[in-house]
Amino acid sequence: MVSKTEETQLNRLENQVDNGGGGAWEYLCLVRKLKVRRSEKVLKYGLSILNDLKKRSGLGSEEWTLYEQVAIAAMDCQSLDVAKDCIRLLRKAFPESKRVGRLEAMLLEAKGSWAEAEKAYSSFLEENPLDQVIHKRRVAMAKAQGNISGAIEGLNKYLEIFMADHDAWRELAEIYVSLQMYKQAAFCYEELILSQPTVPLHHLAYADVLYTLGGLENLQTAKKYYASVIDLTGGKNTRALFGINLNVLTPAFQCTSAIGQLAKGRNKEDKESLELQSLAATALEKDYKQRAPEKLSLLSTALKSLKVSS
Amino acid sequence: MAMSLGFVVGILGVVILSHAAYSTVQYRGLLKIMEEEFSGPPLTVVAELLLGLVFCMWAALTVPGTFLSIHPYSEENRIVSLPDNLDFMIFNHRARVFPVELDLKFKH
Repeated sequence: MVSKTEETQLNRLENQVDNGGGGAWEYLCLVRKLKVRRSEKVLKYGLSILNDLKKRSGLGSEEWTLYEQVAIAAMDCQSLDVAKDCIRLLRKAFPESKRVGRLEAMLLEAKGSWAEAEKAYSSFLEENPLDQVIHKRRVAMAKAQGNISGAIEGLNKYLEIFMADHDAWRELAEIYVSLQMYKQAAFCYEELILSQPTVPLHHLAYADVLYTLGGLENLQTAKKYYASVIDLTGGKNTRALFGINLNVLTPAFQCTSAIGQLAKGRNKEDKESLELQSLAATALEKDYKQRAPEKLSLLSTALKSLKVSS
Repeated sequence: MAMSLGFVVGILGVVILSHAAYSTVQYRGLLKIMEEEFSGPPLTVVAELLLGLVFCMWAALTVPGTFLSIHPYSEENRIVSLPDNLDFMIFNHRARVFPVELDLKFKH
């Protein structure tokens, strides 16, 4: 989870390091802590620390963590020579380590020798069938090879055993979304909301999926989830504000609302959602005025055209 | 500075409280000599107790540290992005076609 304060801190440190202001090690630690993917920068600054003998010895045992981090970043940037060197040094320091073995298998993956990597992972799993990371690597490998159905199958099997792994649920949801299997994706997001109810981004993704699915029931639920995102973020999530606007002004929503009005009973809820929409529009306008005044006119025309088309 | 100030105030509060206790004991001793019934502590002791309470409370609230926000929408708690799913990281992406133009090598 990356909170607003942490994001600001990361951006500040990144700026500082990019401009040669020092603090590279702190930056690398923060990248590791927040689990963000900044491979190019990690490779550049990590390597400069590792090549500087004085800085490197100052790290103590943290040095090996840095080697691992740089090795993975190097694989991500396809600088396989650097990755190989890192892994060789790690192997020398820890001859028996499984963690290094995993890195070696990842290097095989990065090279594209799928069969060999698969063999390595299988032998790890034979030793320890409950190694979560290895299971995940196999899923990732299936995905990298374009075998999406294999990845889904692997993930489902994995989630049967490790149901509390929300990262895996998120991965599965994202794969389903990429395949336009929204019903399945919605299920995954429901699981995520259950396991981490205070993370607004899960609510947001769930609402997006429901909105995409369409249908009155889903639209109404989506509206509620967009509203809960606004509640959790104090109205600072622009996407949720737009979501409310789009959702309530969708022709389908309006159309069925009109029918509902004829059949009475729904009247109050419809009025409330229109009120919600106008509140969200006001909040959006205020936000734009504050952060991007030159784009305010774009926003107001967009909102107007939405209203007209409905 | 604020910390040490809070600490001093806390100590002061404790001293006042113990002085109140001491005065009460003395007062009871005095009553025993005068052979009167104990109906309640004297007004000065009550005032001391209240003062001590306020001081101790203030110190207890300030010395251990500042309060953290529990609002989900505060800057510290508001989650703006999820971590990239690094366990499922794949290397089969555009870096393969466009390698990083950096002259990076190990020097040892």
